[in-house]
Amino acid sequence: MKPTDFLLCLVDASGGKVEGRTLLQKRAFFVTELIGSDFGLKFDAHYYGPYSATVEGTTTQLKNLGFLQESSTGFGIVSDGFEVRRFNYSLTGDGEQLLEGLRGTPEYNSIKTATERVLAAGDPNYVELSIAAKAYFLLKKKEGGSMSVAELIKEARKYNWSISPESIHRAVSFLSAVGLASEG
Amino acid sequence: MGCATASKLFQRLRSLHQLALAHLVYPGATHTRFDHSLGAFHVAGGLAKAIVQSDTEKRLVRLAALLHDVGHGPFSHVTEPILQKHSSPAVLVGRQESKIHEFISAKIILENAELREHLSDRERQNIVGLLDGSFGHSYLHEIVSGPVDADKQDYLLRDSYFTGVKYGIYDQERLKNTLRVYEDNDDLVLAISIDGLHALEQFVLAKYYMTTQVYRHRIRLVTDNMIERAITLGIEEDKIGWLKALYSYDGTDGFVQEYLQWNDERLMNEVLHQKGSQVKDLFDRLHERRLFKCIFDADQNDFPDPSTRSFVFAGSKDFYKPLEVQIAKQFGFDPRHVIAYGVTFNSAIKTESQIPVLHKTKTTLFDDESAFFKSVDQKIREQHFHIYAPVEYKGDEKQKKKKLREFKEAILKFIQTLANPQQALPLA
Repeated sequence: MKPTDFLLCLVDASGGKVEGRTLLQKRAFFVTELIGSDFGLKFDAHYYGPYSATVEGTTTQLKNLGFLQESSTGFGIVSDGFEVRRFNYSLTGDGEQLLEGLRGTPEYNSIKTATERVLAAGDPNYVELSIAAKAYFLLKKKEGGSMSVAELIKEARKYNWSISPESIHRAVSFLSAVGLASEG
Repeated sequence: MGCATASKLFQRLRSLHQLALAHLVYPGATHTRFDHSLGAFHVAGGLAKAIVQSDTEKRLVRLAALLHDVGHGPFSHVTEPILQKHSSPAVLVGRQESKIHEFISAKIILENAELREHLSDRERQNIVGLLDGSFGHSYLHEIVSGPVDADKQDYLLRDSYFTGVKYGIYDQERLKNTLRVYEDNDDLVLAISIDGLHALEQFVLAKYYMTTQVYRHRIRLVTDNMIERAITLGIEEDKIGWLKALYSYDGTDGFVQEYLQWNDERLMNEVLHQKGSQVKDLFDRLHERRLFKCIFDADQNDFPDPSTRSFVFAGSKDFYKPLEVQIAKQFGFDPRHVIAYGVTFNSAIKTESQIPVLHKTKTTLFDDESAFFKSVDQKIREQHFHIYAPVEYKGDEKQKKKKLREFKEAILKFIQTLANPQQALPLA
């Protein structure tokens, strides 16, 4: 499946819209991890959490081809003088029309199932998904993939990540709920 | 370093134009890979002096920049798809992400006899490692191959100067002085101080404008496509053995020895002596500047039907060949001389978006920090679909426009049929 089709399916499975570029990135990351195929999205895991230039480029391509609608919401000016904006993506009529040929395919179904698992695990916002991605990154890095919350916080500090115990708990609960980690 | 620049290997770069046949559009653009490699070496030296601590690493960075283009063949990037197509699949395994000239460069650096005389085995291995990112911390690799590397810093200014355009100009000194080394996980990466934000914005815009105005100039696209088609015909239709051998990288020393004997001028001369061949026919046209013309230029707005739009811009290129044949048949062209080509102008910001921006008390990303790029909507990503053919317009501008309309109407219909073959079936 092409990256363009993957993203259309992901937005469709997310209820026809995704609010925020970061949320789209992180949700796409977890869906590909759950399916076990990256659909050519080539995520890089680094300090800021998983990021895919392909997701970014393909989103723009879908917008320019008229299959996704981009809108933005302003959240005012922050202390350093910059305006904070969130970019939202929703399917257009043309995007819906293209999806008619994708719905019901095995790939579509696997994306829909994985997306539903992410949403059912509490529909985390982009901040929580970012923290979960960081925790998942640390767990995957650790041999055996097992760490206590205290160990996770300690490990996170090594990377200058400031994550509270509450956030870590929520991240672990999410990872556990989607089946990418187990609590204990 | 003198030993490397004096080598026959490096001097060969004097015979490879930096911008292939861009001098057919910009007469001044006759500069070469030699000039550029020296420039990249100079820029890398300045960056290394500013941010690299170890003398050994400084030397490696300069050498890597100096040698980064030694693997280029005649007409450089333009013929790279042909090299990719005809090379042995075994030598390409695991290297799909790299450009083929990059690993020919690596092989040359590791094995060239002249370089072996002057650079130790370890030094040559480290240069290759630095170029492919496997040696040292990431920032060393990023100086020679990254979003703000010495390569781009040099070629933007150099290409701008030689073409005579001003789009590629940015404040290189300011950019250099505000680049920093930043600790990310257990790696060291290239970052920029908040003080250099505008210099980086200027650099990104320079790259964007040079791409749209020079590297993807409409005539340049025609000449690049004609070169690629000519050599492909020379290999596949004329069956010229030496031409096929030149573009069939097999990982052997023999290939590299032969490859290094070729440059733009020799290829042009040899091809022009291939009497009666397809490749000569097209190279004659290039030599005499009798260029193909763009007879069809469409963007997404020309395809109201979503599935056709997706077929053209987000699908495979398998329909190009049958489309070329249909167009040739309809308008009386030789199908070998009709070229379908999809061109994408990427967003102004690409990999630069993830460059860390260092403030006194926090770190952000360029994408989040640049108010300028946020406000102009950096997500410009134009896609066009072109058809080039050897058309000669007769009559005035009005008649030319009429002919172009005729081409457009017919080609849109052909594409519609190819995208939706079931609609073309006769009714039962």
